[in-house]
Amino acid sequence: MTRHARYSTILVTAALLCLLPGAVFAQNNGGPRMDHENTLPPTPSGPTPRTPDGHPDLTGLWNGLADNLLGVPNQMHNVGIEVGPDSTRDINSGLQIATWPLQNRQRQNNEQNERAATLLRRMGSNRPIYKPQYWQRVKDFDANSNEEDPSNQCMPAGVPRVGVPSYIAQTPTYLIFIYPGQGGLIATQTSYRMIPTDGRKHTDLEQLDGTWNGEAIGHWEGDTMVVDTIGFNSTSWFDQLGGYFHSENMHVVERLHRDGNTLTWTATVEDPDVLLEPWTTTPRVALLNPEPKAILPESLPCSERDLAHVVTKEHH
Amino acid sequence: MPTRANMTKVPATRVLMIAALAALAFQTAAAQSNYAKANDSAKNKTAGTVDAAAGPNTPDLAKTLQAAAEAVGLARWSGVGGQRLPEVDVINTMEIWATGTTYGLGQPYKPSEPWAAFKTEFHAALAYNPPAMRLEMTCTNAGAAPQHTIQVVREKYAWDESEIGAGLVPGKGTATPTLAAANHRLLQLWILPYGVIKAALAAGDKTKLSTENGTAVLTFPLSGQLAGVTVKATLDANNEVAKVETRSENTALTDLLTETEYSDYADHGEIATDVKSPGHIVRKQGGHPVLDIQVKMWDANNPYLVFPVPENVKKAAAH
Repeated sequence: MTRHARYSTILVTAALLCLLPGAVFAQNNGGPRMDHENTLPPTPSGPTPRTPDGHPDLTGLWNGLADNLLGVPNQMHNVGIEVGPDSTRDINSGLQIATWPLQNRQRQNNEQNERAATLLRRMGSNRPIYKPQYWQRVKDFDANSNEEDPSNQCMPAGVPRVGVPSYIAQTPTYLIFIYPGQGGLIATQTSYRMIPTDGRKHTDLEQLDGTWNGEAIGHWEGDTMVVDTIGFNSTSWFDQLGGYFHSENMHVVERLHRDGNTLTWTATVEDPDVLLEPWTTTPRVALLNPEPKAILPESLPCSERDLAHVVTKEHH
Repeated sequence: MPTRANMTKVPATRVLMIAALAALAFQTAAAQSNYAKANDSAKNKTAGTVDAAAGPNTPDLAKTLQAAAEAVGLARWSGVGGQRLPEVDVINTMEIWATGTTYGLGQPYKPSEPWAAFKTEFHAALAYNPPAMRLEMTCTNAGAAPQHTIQVVREKYAWDESEIGAGLVPGKGTATPTLAAANHRLLQLWILPYGVIKAALAAGDKTKLSTENGTAVLTFPLSGQLAGVTVKATLDANNEVAKVETRSENTALTDLLTETEYSDYADHGEIATDVKSPGHIVRKQGGHPVLDIQVKMWDANNPYLVFPVPENVKKAAAH
């Protein structure tokens, strides 16, 4: 290989490495950049549009935060920790957490980053309370999540783990939620939900075959859309991290409230088989994509290639 | 972990070379911009500023506390994924397994002798948000049956469990309220190295820094339930908490000095976290040893540990 060819190879490799992150973010069609300086929820702005029947119009592409392809609000926020430039707060308990403002420090390497991330994503106080006989099981699932987490096998995230929908279409009688498959914290398949809002009742639980997303029915409580879901399998986990398994008797109530260009989502999980009490996620606030022509990108297929090479329990 | 199939097509080398130069130029510019932002931010802060609930405002103290927090892996950069975020305290829950010796308080055959010794298996689960601890010990003395105890505290509530999680669901053990023990149990949480750093930060301007024999010493009062207790913590050359001294709040043992020494710091977790924990803990009360344990494992990975208060304990506290 000539010296010129070697230089070309190096430059081509550099080009691919440099362009890859750009290619990923470009799929959000000009949404905000990922390098936030805080994880505070976005501040609402603009009017809340309404449909002819008077309800808030939830229609829109809700991936404006662009933290990942799903546009899920920052993953730190998902675990209930708000980090600002100078202060940090546990949203659930209100506890102020010691914070050392960023200075001109040398950044951590990837290994240090991953270990810090593991701690950060588990430090929030808002944890579901399982019955004592299941405490060890949750701990074991989390400690061994490299192998145990269904998302690491490219299974669907399921409800409510799938979080805030990236796209919502609203008609007078149903809602369509779309969740593009994503990599990152959890890797999932693309999924969608068709949610009737026509006043129908749930099918008897005994008649339902348990599924990842269950049977969802929506109704309005004032300006809040309430999506009530039953009929799950017992394979999924119900939050992003933590080994939070559930039974087929899980009942999930999601609440979506639009305020201008923000959408606040919470999910309450009831599962008397394994939980001591219902548990509600920390509110996640999604931002409307500011690009009016934005569309959802096609998700690449999930492909598990790494588990056979994992040699420690370190995880993300 | 699962990845996405690579759909990048490889166009002409020349195009990519131009793209590489452009991308590198862009990233260099972006990095300079970010560096400038960080620099500006730093200029607007007092050097070593710490923003805790009430941040110490003495630079040397702030730097010492930050150094202590970084030494044990408590202060970690939160900018996961490239975000420009600060360092934060990442420690909440921990679980410790240790083995060693405990000594029966005030049970010597002669005043000059050590108190009665028990071989002890030690298992502690703890949390700082909210403050809680479950301490399970099995103590064995020659010729006697092992004594197994589970002592729990969560904020103002304290109780003993007949088994882990007793009293929460029907038919699963008994929870016995021991409310008078709450402060004593809670104190154990705040004299661990992480508790010391958190409490010193929370004490704000009341935390004082001094030097004894060339090593840094932090002195600060505890607050809330533990108001009236003063903690003196000595750091070693690596800025790790080496010794903690407190006065017991036990009215029967007024002014009995409690000294706890921590040594052999390392990452003792099964899953590496870069959190350093002591491998050897020795505690004395009134000059007598009460605890001497070697750590077998210290899970600092914020494991799933919860401390729901049984209803009968809540009722007892309400009366």
